[in-house]
Amino acid sequence: MQTFAVHPFKAPKNAAEIRSELRAFLAANQPNDDPVRRANCWTTFDPQFSKALGKAGYVGMLWPKEYGGHERSPLERYIVLEELLAAGAPVGAHWIADRQTGPLLLRYGTQEQREKYLPGMAAGETYACIGLSEPNSGSDLASVRTSARRTDDGWLINGQKVWTTGAHISHAMLALVRSEEGSERQQGLSQFLIDLDTPGVTVRPIMDMFGGQDFNEVFFEDVLIPHGALVGVQGEGWKQATAELALERSGPERYLSSHALLAELIDASGPDSPPEIAATIGRLVAEMWTLRQMSMSVAAKLASGEDPVVEAAVVKDLGNSFEQEMPLLVQAVVDADLADNTTLARLLSSLLQNSPSFSLRGGTREIIRGIIARGLGLR
Amino acid sequence: MSENRKALCEMADGLFADLRGADFAAAWPKLEEAGFGSLLVPEADGGFGGDWGDLAAIMRLAGMHALAAPLGEHIITTHVLSACGVEASGLVTIAPSQGAPVPWGRHADQIICAREGELHLVSGSAEHGESPVGEPRDSITYDWNAAKPLAYSADPIALIAFLRVCQTAGALDGALKLAIDYCSQRVQFGKPLSKFQAVQQSIALLAVEAAAVNCAAQGAADALDRGGPGHASELEIAAAKLRANIAIKTGSALAHQVHGAIGFTRDYPLHELTRRMMGWRSEGGNDTYWSQIIGMQAIGWGGAGLWHNLTQRTDS
Repeated sequence: MQTFAVHPFKAPKNAAEIRSELRAFLAANQPNDDPVRRANCWTTFDPQFSKALGKAGYVGMLWPKEYGGHERSPLERYIVLEELLAAGAPVGAHWIADRQTGPLLLRYGTQEQREKYLPGMAAGETYACIGLSEPNSGSDLASVRTSARRTDDGWLINGQKVWTTGAHISHAMLALVRSEEGSERQQGLSQFLIDLDTPGVTVRPIMDMFGGQDFNEVFFEDVLIPHGALVGVQGEGWKQATAELALERSGPERYLSSHALLAELIDASGPDSPPEIAATIGRLVAEMWTLRQMSMSVAAKLASGEDPVVEAAVVKDLGNSFEQEMPLLVQAVVDADLADNTTLARLLSSLLQNSPSFSLRGGTREIIRGIIARGLGLR
Repeated sequence: MSENRKALCEMADGLFADLRGADFAAAWPKLEEAGFGSLLVPEADGGFGGDWGDLAAIMRLAGMHALAAPLGEHIITTHVLSACGVEASGLVTIAPSQGAPVPWGRHADQIICAREGELHLVSGSAEHGESPVGEPRDSITYDWNAAKPLAYSADPIALIAFLRVCQTAGALDGALKLAIDYCSQRVQFGKPLSKFQAVQQSIALLAVEAAAVNCAAQGAADALDRGGPGHASELEIAAAKLRANIAIKTGSALAHQVHGAIGFTRDYPLHELTRRMMGWRSEGGNDTYWSQIIGMQAIGWGGAGLWHNLTQRTDS
């Protein structure tokens, strides 16, 4: 019995070089704005930063040069992501396009789709969002009802998506919709890449409990999109949409998106810190180090062409728990009034309020553990 | 990775399974005969020429099969003595520290123990003590007059910690297998326990904890293979042991919970794993010990320095 076969991460020869390039880039380009924006930074939108990053060649790193990519290796890209996240860089605007939508177009997209979207995505200028949840389809994703009907002029989309991260700044949505009338569950679903400036699309931001605006509801009323907006094979949407989840679930954002708080706690503590603060730092570092081993193992597996769905779910579950526990453990030992204007207090307050969402987005904890249980042969 | 690891693991897996439930007197001659002792001794010196990753893989299997013998201790001491060019016969075990109970001390001809930061090969007399599962953990009165200093830089607490992390990885995987098998067979309310979502979620979490320790063990072994025991691997071993301790707390409790009363019986093999893990949590440094060390190290490095150091260690 070994549920997580550890895969060795052979660091690229130029790993140290990539890191110092990135650190120099960040020193020159990372905005020196509100430190709260460094926490949970992969949902912090900053198009100007994304464009600078794209210009420097750090978006679409793996993609072919003909589409504006840079033909680098997956582990080189992994190192770049680690550096961006550890620094709390505002990578939210291009994150989904770079992580999921671009790779999906390379896998399933037509030549026309690749030419239309990939160069802009690699430049950090074209952003994408993922339309999965609907008002009546959350964890039970196979119950989606938004429909696509084929007409002579194109596909007619009707329905509603919700909790769509980044829809308000995105140019296109990769939506999972029901393309076969009367079909049920996983059958009859297809993926479409819908330009959000198409007439009939309404994007309405939903303010989260923290006052943040990163998710949205998106309405489709007789939205006519070209036949060429279908991505991949008609009716294969479920398989295509779930195939990308290992990419979504195991990346370094699962354990580094709260790193700003740990780094700030360390900087705010000196050699004569009380033992309980040192112990809390020690524990958080031990868990972070372990998660890094796990995430690197999955990255190495993905890079070798395997599809480690269960391992990716394990990383997401553990990463979410770690990042939810971190602000609570920090709060338990530091003498910080949450009304203080210190960086530590502000990061702490922000993550206490944001962290409940970590085990909701990208698959709830219960769904993720269900995937692990299936991998163990229990369902 | 040693090229021979697969064959080594197959051999160890079979042998340890056969030795399940065997006591020291029955198991030790078989383990000696199998020649594990020379695992970390270079081929040029007549050994197996394995690496720390091989040791991790072997100790994981030892943990999974609840092997009741100081195999890891023996492999490490044989390696240390060989590296120092010191001849020793019989079983040599390791004292985590001078005052700490010594694993299988009563069976050892000699012990490697640190005094004033230096390793020594030393004899002593044992006063018997037992771990929760009944393994010897003896108090030793050392005969320092006859101690031989060893020119090998290592922290014995970290060496024991490394072994316990690897054993915990195997023991949690073993407990997970028992939990899956039991819950797939046991029927209540007209269906197997494994079909209840509440039970599935608990077993999934057990699997997550087992996965974490398996990765931590591998990460610690990688650090040892990069820089050897000592400063170059202290952070990784510390982090791995602390993470293993956390996993034992959660994982053991879950394994027992999904088993119900049967897991609490002497006849059912779960306790062979969980009672060992209960003891290992205290051995080779408890949570406070390692969390202080890691915490002070991180504070010394600073927030950015922590990240720079962690990444530097795996970049080469």
